Amino acid sequence: MIGNKKAGTLFTVIMSLGLAAGCGNSANDPAKPKDSNDQVTLRMVESMTSPKRTELLKGMLAEFEKQNPNIKVELVSPPYDQADNKIRTMLLAKQKLDVIEARDLNVAEYVNNGYLLQLDDYLAGWKDAGTFSSIPKSVGSVSNKLYFIANGLYERQMFYRKDWFDEKGLKAPTTYQEMVDTAKKITDPSKNRYGFSFRGGAGSNGITDNIILAYNAINVNLEDSMFLKNGKTIYSTPEAQQAMEKYKELYKEASPPDSINWGFQEQVQAFTSGVTGILLQDPDVIQSLQEKMKEGTWATAPMPVGPSGKALIAAGGAGWGIASYSTHKDEAWKLIAFLSSPEENTVFTKNYGLVPIHSSAANDEFFKSGPYKTLLDMTNKPDTFLNYKPPFQYAGAGQWGNVSTESQQAFLFDKTTTADLLKTWDAYWVDQKSKIKK
Amino acid sequence: MRLSILGIGKKISLLLYLVFMIFPLYWIVVTSLKPQDEIFSYPIKYWPVHLTFQNYVSIFKISKFHIYIANSLLIATLSALIVLAISLLGAYVLARFQFRGHKQVLISFFLTQMLPGFISLAPLYLLMSHLHLINTRVSLIVMYTVSLIPFSTIILRGFFQRIPVSLEEAATIDGCTRFSALWRIIIPVMLPGIGSTFIFAFIQNWNELFTAVMFVDDESLKTLPVAMNSFVMKFDIDWGAMSAGTVLSVFPTVFLFILAQKFIVQGLTQGAEKG
Amino acid sequence: MAFQDYKLFDLSNVRFVGFKNFEDVLKDPKFIGALVNSLYWVFFSLFFQFLLGLALALLLNKAFRGRGVLQGLLFYPWALSGFLIGLIWKWMFNSQIGVVNDLLMKAGIIDERIGFLSDPNWSMFSVIVANVWYGIAFFAIMLLAALQSVPSDLYEAAEMDGANKFTRFSNVTLPYIMPTVITTTLLRVIWIFNDPTIIYGLTNGGPAGSTHILSSFMLDKIINGGDYGSASAVGVIMIVILLLYTIFYLSATKSEKVGDF
Repeated sequence: MIGNKKAGTLFTVIMSLGLAAGCGNSANDPAKPKDSNDQVTLRMVESMTSPKRTELLKGMLAEFEKQNPNIKVELVSPPYDQADNKIRTMLLAKQKLDVIEARDLNVAEYVNNGYLLQLDDYLAGWKDAGTFSSIPKSVGSVSNKLYFIANGLYERQMFYRKDWFDEKGLKAPTTYQEMVDTAKKITDPSKNRYGFSFRGGAGSNGITDNIILAYNAINVNLEDSMFLKNGKTIYSTPEAQQAMEKYKELYKEASPPDSINWGFQEQVQAFTSGVTGILLQDPDVIQSLQEKMKEGTWATAPMPVGPSGKALIAAGGAGWGIASYSTHKDEAWKLIAFLSSPEENTVFTKNYGLVPIHSSAANDEFFKSGPYKTLLDMTNKPDTFLNYKPPFQYAGAGQWGNVSTESQQAFLFDKTTTADLLKTWDAYWVDQKSKIKK
Repeated sequence: MRLSILGIGKKISLLLYLVFMIFPLYWIVVTSLKPQDEIFSYPIKYWPVHLTFQNYVSIFKISKFHIYIANSLLIATLSALIVLAISLLGAYVLARFQFRGHKQVLISFFLTQMLPGFISLAPLYLLMSHLHLINTRVSLIVMYTVSLIPFSTIILRGFFQRIPVSLEEAATIDGCTRFSALWRIIIPVMLPGIGSTFIFAFIQNWNELFTAVMFVDDESLKTLPVAMNSFVMKFDIDWGAMSAGTVLSVFPTVFLFILAQKFIVQGLTQGAEKG
Repeated sequence: MAFQDYKLFDLSNVRFVGFKNFEDVLKDPKFIGALVNSLYWVFFSLFFQFLLGLALALLLNKAFRGRGVLQGLLFYPWALSGFLIGLIWKWMFNSQIGVVNDLLMKAGIIDERIGFLSDPNWSMFSVIVANVWYGIAFFAIMLLAALQSVPSDLYEAAEMDGANKFTRFSNVTLPYIMPTVITTTLLRVIWIFNDPTIIYGLTNGGPAGSTHILSSFMLDKIINGGDYGSASAVGVIMIVILLLYTIFYLSATKSEKVGDF
């Protein structure tokens, strides 16, 4: 609907010229000499938008402006669905932006294209650096250089229907094997009740990769998690075969048939509306559960482990970085430091359902009880729950979700065998590896 | 006897058709009147147990719906009017005059419809950024107007062609200039076409999401679809707010349909009398 | 861009690659699937949108009480954003918590839930239903406007000649609205072919790629992975297809009525 063909080609030409010449930097006015009385306006863009979170952020920004009368902050809040696409385009056009919410999954893209400022120098001079944990630091880093300060972490855990489990005398499963068995016991299609909130649509690789990692356990190279310590991909092992067969069993015998094409939202809706009994999700889902379900009907448990008694856990997150072309970098850092202080971060993570980024927050009663406790328990058992770094540094990581989802759906429809499926996946990552070595 | 069976069959299929068309609307309205915990409760409730207007209150209080509605109305109406003015003249020229490049213009109009919009969004953003038009209402009006002119011109040209040239000639003989003949004779006869083109352009603008998300940053400039899109979050769609917003956003267009109906029919009879 | 290796992940590495993008795309079995789906999608969507739209226009062309309100009620799908239509139908079609299955079960029409969006045998049907629902109003609006501009003396003349309802329709109405029919169907085909929003919202091309059409396939390349190079290649192929179609359609309908092509 948009656009005129001729104009379209013209603009394409303009754009490629702009790229080739490295120009188009309308925001790159020569920096003015700094004067403490100068009124500075920062522009900040968020990515994980929700109306409530925007309200929360605005409150925090108002406090910051009160403390720093010479700085004003304009917050841009694009809808979650379109946010990253918009931010990417704004950065490409060098539209005025100072503080950017980058995500674990796109930070490598931003860094590759030189959009983000490296923050290590600022970090060194940060008064709260002492309590800043190593995990959020690693989430915000590319090749060991820090590019964003996470505003909280998410980590997958298990949510289950406590009332259904109690009714049948079941306990929260601890291994994938147990999880499949328990889920089967709850499943009763005649009542439209299923054991597991499956997600075969967008983001399905969250489950498949997790189960394969757990089955490969200690053999995985934690820094380069699509590969084993011996350099082969995680999909090349007999353990991966077992894992995928378990996975198929989970879908066929304990999940709603419709879930083969469900994404995040359907998966959660099915759990909140009482169709499914077990959900593996991030803590930012807690708010939704609290709003829509009765207290006491659900509880949390750690992620299931593989046959060797271990599971691999990754922390994800989004956070604040500085645009490389920002003209007010110091003020931008001041804002980030404010938002990331233990006090502000605790408020933010409590309200939005994330794990705080400062080690000091672990003493907070709030995170020691209720649904967050499980996450803390998992963190306290680093030998059982090994922390790994997701493969976001590969160019193909963005496309991987799609490749994985489609072939996995064909597999669940019995159109491909386990061996063929794993061969496709193995080939994909071998290819990725060869590209990065160039 | 045969006739009445046919009649019953016709009525049943009409009824099924109406259910098919109207049920989703019913569902949205009912959802908008439900409290949060009833929206996804199972078994499904076809009527709210606790009727509430909370969703409507919250979209005005938490999201600033009055601002978004005003923005959408302004942008959609202005752009539709500009589109109408330009395409009317363009269509008239294309329908009544033969000139060199006549064919090429028409072909290029069809061509513009063929380029999938998504791909040109980023380049257009760069252009608007160079023109310093990002984050203004003007950028949306320009984008919408440009994208709608080809279609509107093609459609209006069809309506012009249907009017016999003799009607115009008669008017010119009566002493009208070409322009006043167009204004006083042709336009009234064409009102149904003009009305539907306006409605079409208005609705197209009213609904547009991707450009609006991309080109506008400030809360105070956002349009309705952008605001509604923000109810889609990572794990959750706020269906309460979403359905309330949908009901409100459909309202003006339904009103426009009803209004246009009267206007078009009146225009038609007037035009016929004058002709 | 169609001739470049243009990926947003690494813009420093944009380079000319000749026809490689086209080669890759044409070799992709998903592309062929999407092409075939596009044909189904366009044909069935257009057929039912047009047929039901025309029926609706004829129905509303008579004056009766409450016509305006009925018209408003029946045209509202057109007044919704594409993304909303995707969301609404996705919710209604959900086989566990959606209303369509629930209603069909209650009415005793089916005993087992249908995976409207998860069963590859149903998914294409489901997205087309949603698209038909959305697009009827377009034809109804445009055809109604055309019908209302039919001069009433034409009907009077036909009536004097003793024409019945059907011959009046085929001899008077149809020829008169033909130009509108040809232009609207032509444009609508182009739009249906190009618009990915409904499919994107409803199924995102799934399950297992069974509902991708060319435009959603292209959008997917942009959104997941930012591969503008191959997306542009798909875009170019789409334009070629549409051009061929337009030329064919206009010559087949001998369209001095539409334009003097």
